Amino acid sequence: MSETVSLIFWLLAVPFCIGVVPTNFIAKKWRSPGFVLLSGYFVMWALFEISAVPAVLWVEYDNFKTASAVFTVLTLSLAAAGIWLLYCNQKAGKPGLVTGKSKSRPEVSEAEGTGKDNDKRVSSTGGMKARAAAFGKWLLRGTGIEWLLFFALLGFQLYKAVAYASFDGDDAYYVVESLLAQEAGVMYRILPLTGGSTGIDVRHALAVFPMWIAFVSVRAGIHATIVSHVVMPLVLIPLTYLLYYEIGRLLFARENFPVFMILMAAFQIFGNVSIYTTETFFLTRTWQGKAVAGALAIPAVLWLFLLLCGGKQEKEAENEVEVEIEKGKEKEDRRGLWFLFVCVQMSVGICSSIAVFLVSLLTALTAFVLACVRRDLRLLFKFGAACIPNLIYMAIYVIVAYSYLL
Amino acid sequence: MWGIFLESVVIFKNFMGWHENHLLAGLYVFALLYLWLTEKDKTKRAIFVYAPTILLLLFFCPLFRKVFVRIMEDSETYYRLLWLLQMSIVSAYGLIRLMGRHRRIGLAVACLVIAACGDYVYDSEHISQAENAYHLPQEAVDIVDLIAPEEGRITVLVPADLIYYIRQYSTDIELPYGREMLIDRWDYYHAMYEAMEKAEVIDTPVFAELARTYPCAYVVLKEDREVKEPLTDHGYSVYGQVGEFVIYKDMTLQDQ
Repeated sequence: MSETVSLIFWLLAVPFCIGVVPTNFIAKKWRSPGFVLLSGYFVMWALFEISAVPAVLWVEYDNFKTASAVFTVLTLSLAAAGIWLLYCNQKAGKPGLVTGKSKSRPEVSEAEGTGKDNDKRVSSTGGMKARAAAFGKWLLRGTGIEWLLFFALLGFQLYKAVAYASFDGDDAYYVVESLLAQEAGVMYRILPLTGGSTGIDVRHALAVFPMWIAFVSVRAGIHATIVSHVVMPLVLIPLTYLLYYEIGRLLFARENFPVFMILMAAFQIFGNVSIYTTETFFLTRTWQGKAVAGALAIPAVLWLFLLLCGGKQEKEAENEVEVEIEKGKEKEDRRGLWFLFVCVQMSVGICSSIAVFLVSLLTALTAFVLACVRRDLRLLFKFGAACIPNLIYMAIYVIVAYSYLL
Repeated sequence: MWGIFLESVVIFKNFMGWHENHLLAGLYVFALLYLWLTEKDKTKRAIFVYAPTILLLLFFCPLFRKVFVRIMEDSETYYRLLWLLQMSIVSAYGLIRLMGRHRRIGLAVACLVIAACGDYVYDSEHISQAENAYHLPQEAVDIVDLIAPEEGRITVLVPADLIYYIRQYSTDIELPYGREMLIDRWDYYHAMYEAMEKAEVIDTPVFAELARTYPCAYVVLKEDREVKEPLTDHGYSVYGQVGEFVIYKDMTLQDQ
């Protein structure tokens, strides 16, 4: 029981509260519980990089315990800041940080204006029959069937992740690294494959995702291998689909969200065309940092490009008047997104050191193309500045990798 | 340069599973071409059309590959550049735009095409019913439970079948060699591995002497593993059996 409570605390409550902080600095039209949770994870992983990488490099004994202590203080402080922001926001009567809705004037979102409209009316009039009729209408004429199908596919993937074991040779390295941190309290000082002592292998030591899993394992008091193979898929698979949902929100009108989600699920389930695809990594080695990089972190970069540089076309936006109002505050409202963009770049660093290079390349290339098509060279500098953590990461990598030459 | 280009083509084919007649790459290229022709929004065009196209060109560019491999000091991970294309998202976006108002029929057709062109992940030979919460073979768990020390660490020699799993269950068990010996292309040499796995019949005196240099407190062998002389003649005693694995304890270590 206490294990479950700990897992819920560290994998749901804490990231959710942290996610409120960047959400405070974005336009209310983008706010949603999904956005908050996703933001929370990326900020939390960025904090983990700050806590763990210096400890790996410069703390000789009990470096995992040191990193865990620093990370605990940082995350809990930021989570507390999130709760405080929620409180202040509510007190001031501003639009909700989680939903973006105003207290004084209930805003009618697209969903409520279309499909769910009937449900609202029915709920006010009451009556089981009417409710059932409205549900049937939503199911048949709305997007109900599609959503049911998507959740069935998601449930199927989660069931397979828990009930079936997926063998991957790299687990002998990554999962054992997590377990070593949990059992011995050290990071990257013991050879996971055999148990002998070792120096820092910079390629793996900077990608501290297994250490985050170890942190969760220690806090929950669950064996790191169980956390890797069972708990992580239960968290990371829904989180990835949450990201796809947020991307869908930017790309499509509401009736196409579930279609997009079903297609994404189909691509994941049938994407095993080779052992190299992100889809294969996503469902067969979900708990490994590189799988998170491919399925979650890289799409998150695209998501933020869409948010920062465009997103939904105005004609598709939820409320045109709202769009006009938002335009005036556009710059202010994007501070949270830029902060999040930096955090996503840093999150990539904990997943895989190669992915840092790849994501920097993607960022540079996409920023260049966007700067060209929008004829706005400032974009290059802005996105370049957001990549500074990656440059620092790569500089550390090179210095540590070639320190023997100095 | 031509050779490097052809290598990139092979990597792309392997990535997309063309050699096994998987055609999801075709679906992606189709979606990309469709977006080239129809996408009007500048931002989306930049993110879903121009950037992936340039990335694809870079992927096949020999000079870029040379630079990438030089920087990464690793040619095996070049395929990960293709992760940046985010084929699923781009394909799904293109397909939904193509569907237009024919949402349900379009979805059904698209799902059928994906299933036909792709490969069902849960058919993989690497996926099997979980035997326990660790998702490790139960035999590995049982063996470790049997031999794990109450305190400290011990070295144990296990067959290749168990090497991946033992330390995922307990890091108190150390191994003379690990998974690195099982990857042929790395081509490492390890005397203990040669004696344990490569020898058709285990040369017991040499084997026991080698195992004691670590020293291995236990040796686990498959019951049908051929040995020149029984291990019990060389200071080992049968400690237990788990499934097809027989566990031998080195009694000489106890005497020390």
